[in-house]
Amino acid sequence: MVLHKRRVGTRIDNIDDADLLLLKKRVDIATLVIISLIAILIARLWYLQIHLGEEYSHQAEENRVRAQVIPPPRGIITDRHGTVIVGNRPSFNVVWMKEDSPDPEEVLKALANILHLDISVLLDRVRGAASQPPYMPMRLAEDIPWSVLVYLENHRYQLPGVRIDVAPTRQYLNDEFASHFIGYLGELSKKELENRLDDTYQGGDLVGKTGVEARHEAELRGEKGRNYVEVDVRGFEQKQLQVQEPLPGADLALTLDADMQQAAEQAMAGKAGAVVALEVNTGRVLVLASAPAIKLTQWAGGISQKDWQALLDNPLKPLVNKPLQGVYAPGSTYKIVTAHAGLSEGVITPETSIFCAGSISFGNRRYGCWKRGGHGTVSLHRALAESCDVYFYTVGQRLGVDRLAEYAKSFGLGDLTGIDLENEKAGLVPTKAWKKKARKESWQDGETLSVAIGQGFDATTPLQICQMTASLANGGIRYRPQYVEAVADADGKLVSRFTPIVDGEVKGSRQAMALVREGLTAVVNEKHGTGSKARLEGVLVAGKTGTAQVVRLEHYKGVAEGNIPYKYRDHAWFTCYAPADKPEIAVTVLVEHGAHGGSAAAPVAREVLKHYFAGRIAPAEGGQPEAASAPEQAPGDGD
Amino acid sequence: MWRFDRRLLLNFDWVLLGTVLVIGVMGLLNLYSATYTAPAYGTPLYLKQIYFFLGGLLLILAIISIDYRKLMAWNYPLYGASLLLLLAALFLGKTVGGSQRWIPLGFFNLQPSEPAKVMMVITLASYYYRKDTGKGFTLRELAVPVMLTLAPFLLIMKQPDLGTALIFAFIFVSMTLFVKLKWLTLGVLLTFCVTTVPVGWMYFLKPYQKQRIETFLNPEGDPHKAGYHIIQSKIAVGSGLKLGKGYLKGTQGHLDFLPERHTDFAFSVWAEEWGFVGSIFFVATYFFLLLWGMNVVTSSRDKFGAILAFGIISLIFWEAFINLAMVMGLLPVVGMPLPLFSYGGSSLFATLVGIGILMNIRMRRYLAPM
Repeated sequence: MVLHKRRVGTRIDNIDDADLLLLKKRVDIATLVIISLIAILIARLWYLQIHLGEEYSHQAEENRVRAQVIPPPRGIITDRHGTVIVGNRPSFNVVWMKEDSPDPEEVLKALANILHLDISVLLDRVRGAASQPPYMPMRLAEDIPWSVLVYLENHRYQLPGVRIDVAPTRQYLNDEFASHFIGYLGELSKKELENRLDDTYQGGDLVGKTGVEARHEAELRGEKGRNYVEVDVRGFEQKQLQVQEPLPGADLALTLDADMQQAAEQAMAGKAGAVVALEVNTGRVLVLASAPAIKLTQWAGGISQKDWQALLDNPLKPLVNKPLQGVYAPGSTYKIVTAHAGLSEGVITPETSIFCAGSISFGNRRYGCWKRGGHGTVSLHRALAESCDVYFYTVGQRLGVDRLAEYAKSFGLGDLTGIDLENEKAGLVPTKAWKKKARKESWQDGETLSVAIGQGFDATTPLQICQMTASLANGGIRYRPQYVEAVADADGKLVSRFTPIVDGEVKGSRQAMALVREGLTAVVNEKHGTGSKARLEGVLVAGKTGTAQVVRLEHYKGVAEGNIPYKYRDHAWFTCYAPADKPEIAVTVLVEHGAHGGSAAAPVAREVLKHYFAGRIAPAEGGQPEAASAPEQAPGDGD
Repeated sequence: MWRFDRRLLLNFDWVLLGTVLVIGVMGLLNLYSATYTAPAYGTPLYLKQIYFFLGGLLLILAIISIDYRKLMAWNYPLYGASLLLLLAALFLGKTVGGSQRWIPLGFFNLQPSEPAKVMMVITLASYYYRKDTGKGFTLRELAVPVMLTLAPFLLIMKQPDLGTALIFAFIFVSMTLFVKLKWLTLGVLLTFCVTTVPVGWMYFLKPYQKQRIETFLNPEGDPHKAGYHIIQSKIAVGSGLKLGKGYLKGTQGHLDFLPERHTDFAFSVWAEEWGFVGSIFFVATYFFLLLWGMNVVTSSRDKFGAILAFGIISLIFWEAFINLAMVMGLLPVVGMPLPLFSYGGSSLFATLVGIGILMNIRMRRYLAPM
């Protein structure tokens, strides 16, 4: 083609055919490029909206919807008569939306003033909440008193961003009532949270840490509600979407008798020890008291280091739940086992009489009776009633430690009773094999004598002794101690109900048991019985006193009891059941360093029995003090 | 001067106008949805956009009344003016988000890079038409158009605005390929491009630009910062499903999860509310616009008109494609509006000027060449 010189704007040629063809070809190519690129876009749209659409919809929902947790009211705990032991009440908490405060520092200062807190406390809490998203209100104070609440409500305009938030909190019948048994709530620790696989819990949730609250956490906690709100990109609420109401926790009716429990706790006031009462024919726990009590509200917002240390340092060991975690030598209460074993094995008969001169020699040692002057000639009945040590030394010697242990174990001693509470102790029933294994020594025959009267290696918990007493009373059936009468869900529908569990049967003859029971009736009711202080007008009580040596200190021999340092004084036991002819209830009391079972422990048991039988026995005539019906002075106060 | 022919009116391109209006109305509906929840300061954006649109239509009327061939004569003055505006933006410009792109005009912030794109098309079309020998361009003959393109390209990179600058490169390449190139020239240019890309990556791109590209390649690596745009946009588009969440019911947009939802990410809002069906309808309409534009190219009365029309079509196409691909997560995030759809006066005016030129060429297809 000839090169045309063209001058700008002067002449424009029409497109010639060759050029037009060329351009058309290029337009076609360009159109093809456009079509293929648009095809890519359409394929992409299909991929995003159709192929992955559900996935992205889900992500869009996650962006948009936030679930605020509504805490469920925790289940209520009542006693067997429906008395509320642990309920709920609203707790008013101060929360703060920092973003809504134009001058955060000023607000904190004012708040510290109103709450009577140091500003550093508030600053610590603000720092602690630093990791939570900005739209989440920070909690600055819990359970503020009514007066502060009113003040805050009236001054809300001076405190922008500060709000009051209501959450249910535990309300106790009494701060110290059955406190070990009920247990306290605490925040789930970060570690516990991480170890959980499900998402039932989240940080800051209160869970049962001890006792019934911990054991029945799953039933009591209920299900969280969710308040679904639409939020914008900053997390601020735009509108309410849907509310899923929380499901309140199931209510727990315990077998506990609040009245008896209270009586037991009052009787133990100022003392340290344990009181247990079981229903003889079912294993229901009626009383489970540990003294001194702990204050449940101390744990409400997390216990302070100072309070915790004070509890640890307390010589009365308030942190131990003594009915099942306290281990003591059973003392003479063990004679129940020795007597039953001796009769069952035929090494004694009810007529067998043994002479007690106040002591017995065995090997090259003397084993004394608590009554240094001796009981003279005693048979089983008197030996039990007056708790003659020499008699039982002899029975133990005839039985041998292993035969004795078989009976003790069949009573449930030396093993967990299986009560559904944490850290129960098993105690110990010694055998020759045990000593060989544990101590790498052979059994000394003299040790059998100590074991026969509940000293030496014998170790039991008050709950075990009570279970033993109940088994004796009911003719040899070992019921597991249980404390839940019924569980009812939020609608009141019964979820589960108490059913007795038989864990075993006592070895030996029923007749032997009847003979032992006769002896125990004598303990309380005969002239020289050691347990006369448990005598109750209108109800025949049968029981056994006991004294557990804490230390065998010759040093204190003959020293007046009051002059022995508290921590070296003997523990006092009393275990009993009633009515003696048709037993319903077994009560066991242990008073730490109470010295004598008859004087320190028996009156506590009597108090509990009195409340149990309250509706059935006529009020004492003429306002006569009940003690008057007891003999003027219990002759043998202990053993 | 006004050689007005009755045939001009008869040949008015109603189809093109109709298509533009359909896209424009979709854009306005979408703009309303994207912004109605936001707190209003002054005139609502959709109303402003309507004014821009009406203004743009008047501009079209003005443009079609002048023969497009006049543009060839005005080519260099127009080119010079747009370079001056770009310079003005650099020195007087308003800084928004770290880049100086706008010249405040009181009622309106002018983004001079938008008209500069159209000027670029006119300039290249004029140059290529004048120098066309029919034998294809040599490398030496390309020196001038390269320089002509490089000047605004560099000024815009300086703002910095990578996306717009790239459009100049795309226009240049498209138009240069459209007119004839010698095969040797093509080969040399390709080699050059392949070697410059890594150099440009190392010395030319700002850190934030590099990060955008890196983020694009792995958006989940940085979900809260740079990857956020892409992730949220994909969620918005994807959650539209087949039929969409319904007009005014998109959650990603209204709850602010989508950034730039009335400008660059406007299509995300559309896709979320109208779903796959609505998106296909939009893309199809756009495709029709482009096809119609190609028709303008082939029916042009002269070669200048053909090259000019092709330049305008490629400008609109590349902008739309890059924007849509970006919104769908196929390309990194660059500042690129969707022509006729995104909010923004400068872009709308520039695009409508381009449409006006297309109509102009179309209307004069039967007129005798001069």
